[in-house]
Amino acid sequence: MPEIVDNKQIFTLREVAESIRRTLAQRYTSLFWVKAEMNKLNHYGHSGHCYPDLVQKEAGKVVAQMRAIIWAADFKRIESALQRVTGETLREGSGLLLQVAIQFDPNHGLSLLIKDIDPVFSLGELEKEKNESIQRLMSQGVFHLNKQQPMPLLPKRLAVISVESSKGYADFMLLLGSSKKGYNIEHMLFPSLLQGEKAARQIENQLLRIKKVAHHFDAVAIIRGGGGEIGLAAFNDYQLAHTVCAFPIPVITGIGHATNLTVTEMVAHTNAITPSELAGIILARFDAFSQSLEEAGSALANAAKLLSVNKEYIKYQQLKLQSIATFQFQASQKLLLGEAGKLSQAAFAGLQHATRKLGETTLQQRFLVHEQLKKEKIKLDGFLLLMQRKPLTAVAENTSRLESLERMVGMLNPEKVLKRGYSISYHDGKVLFGTEQLSEGAVVSTKLGRGSFMSKVIKKENEN
Amino acid sequence: MKGKNISYTEAYAELQLLVSELEKGETTVDELSEKVKRAAELIRLCKSKLTATELEVNNILLELGDQV
Repeated sequence: MPEIVDNKQIFTLREVAESIRRTLAQRYTSLFWVKAEMNKLNHYGHSGHCYPDLVQKEAGKVVAQMRAIIWAADFKRIESALQRVTGETLREGSGLLLQVAIQFDPNHGLSLLIKDIDPVFSLGELEKEKNESIQRLMSQGVFHLNKQQPMPLLPKRLAVISVESSKGYADFMLLLGSSKKGYNIEHMLFPSLLQGEKAARQIENQLLRIKKVAHHFDAVAIIRGGGGEIGLAAFNDYQLAHTVCAFPIPVITGIGHATNLTVTEMVAHTNAITPSELAGIILARFDAFSQSLEEAGSALANAAKLLSVNKEYIKYQQLKLQSIATFQFQASQKLLLGEAGKLSQAAFAGLQHATRKLGETTLQQRFLVHEQLKKEKIKLDGFLLLMQRKPLTAVAENTSRLESLERMVGMLNPEKVLKRGYSISYHDGKVLFGTEQLSEGAVVSTKLGRGSFMSKVIKKENEN
Repeated sequence: MKGKNISYTEAYAELQLLVSELEKGETTVDELSEKVKRAAELIRLCKSKLTATELEVNNILLELGDQV
């Protein structure tokens, strides 16, 4: 009870606290629902109780803040309900719909006692966050970026982000090493939590480490498995998804769940539902490569076979040609011999015939010629008689005519004239017909009937 | 023709080209043996790539160590 001192009513701190507690307990008699953001969870492992910080933000600023309590028993119940519906545990920074009672403790002051959390509301909030991440990546134009990174024909060098002890990682490695063809798919583990609140940052940090040595790797594989459907919200984290989008080599995911795809899976170069399936996709690339090598090998063998078949064929053709040629030659020879035989026979027969005929003809000819000759001889003989008689008369006539002509010619001969006492004078080799050419002293030669002489002109007398 | 340092992607592409040529029968007998020889070499190269070791773990650790 308060004491009165100098008309002042004085309360003890405990009395004030008790008064507030009573007042509040009278005023807030029932549970009610409040919407708030979980700023800090403050879960104490040993007791199992939580003392979360709840805030309300407007435009990024905290406009209200209050402490809260979740007792260990309530926390267990709430967590399992949340996990069942959303696949998530309580996360810092998430919006929640809380069923609370106001509690005032003289020692610890005012706090909200959280009795329940609406998992459906949380689901909506998660979906909202996921959609916001997608929208932001889309609007920045990076959403499809990693899908455009060229995947090497053989992703041989993998950087694996996983938990070494997890079943998913073990499955993945087992399958990659299982091929009988002995592919050497190498990997290096970059360990990280893959679910829960810290997963997003850890994965992102490992991605940033890998980025520094990205030239050593063909792809990054994010492998999770065996963790059920819990804690996948990390893969909806905007920051993580953005890092994946902008990653310089392909990021492939095998996160292992059956519900809707997370944002990280959506933006990954290749996504498989489970680690085993992802291993299968990688092996399939190796198998395809190996298979086409084998096909190439057999195509090659075919080509080589073709070559040898060609050779065989050519050889065969050669033999065939030879045998045909030989056969043809022999046949021709035979034919030719046959023809030649026939020909010689025919020729012989012809010759004999011709000879015989010729013989006959010769006899006949001889007879005819003989006859002809006889006729001709008779004709000739007659002609000869005729010829012998006729020229005799012609010769007598001609002889008398010739004799008179001879006489005339004999009379004209100068020799004969000279014999009768005439002479011929020459001067300078020319016959002198007058004295015109002669001068006194000119030498004149004179031819007589018998002999000749030279004389000199003493006097010349012209004819009147 | 390219040397020994051809990447398997290049080797594979060249091989596919050769094989398609061989299959189409566009290769003359003159070129055939040369091409078959080259293709066989490429197949051997690609096959060795399937099982070769390429991850330089020590280098990676060194590079990570320098920068962490």
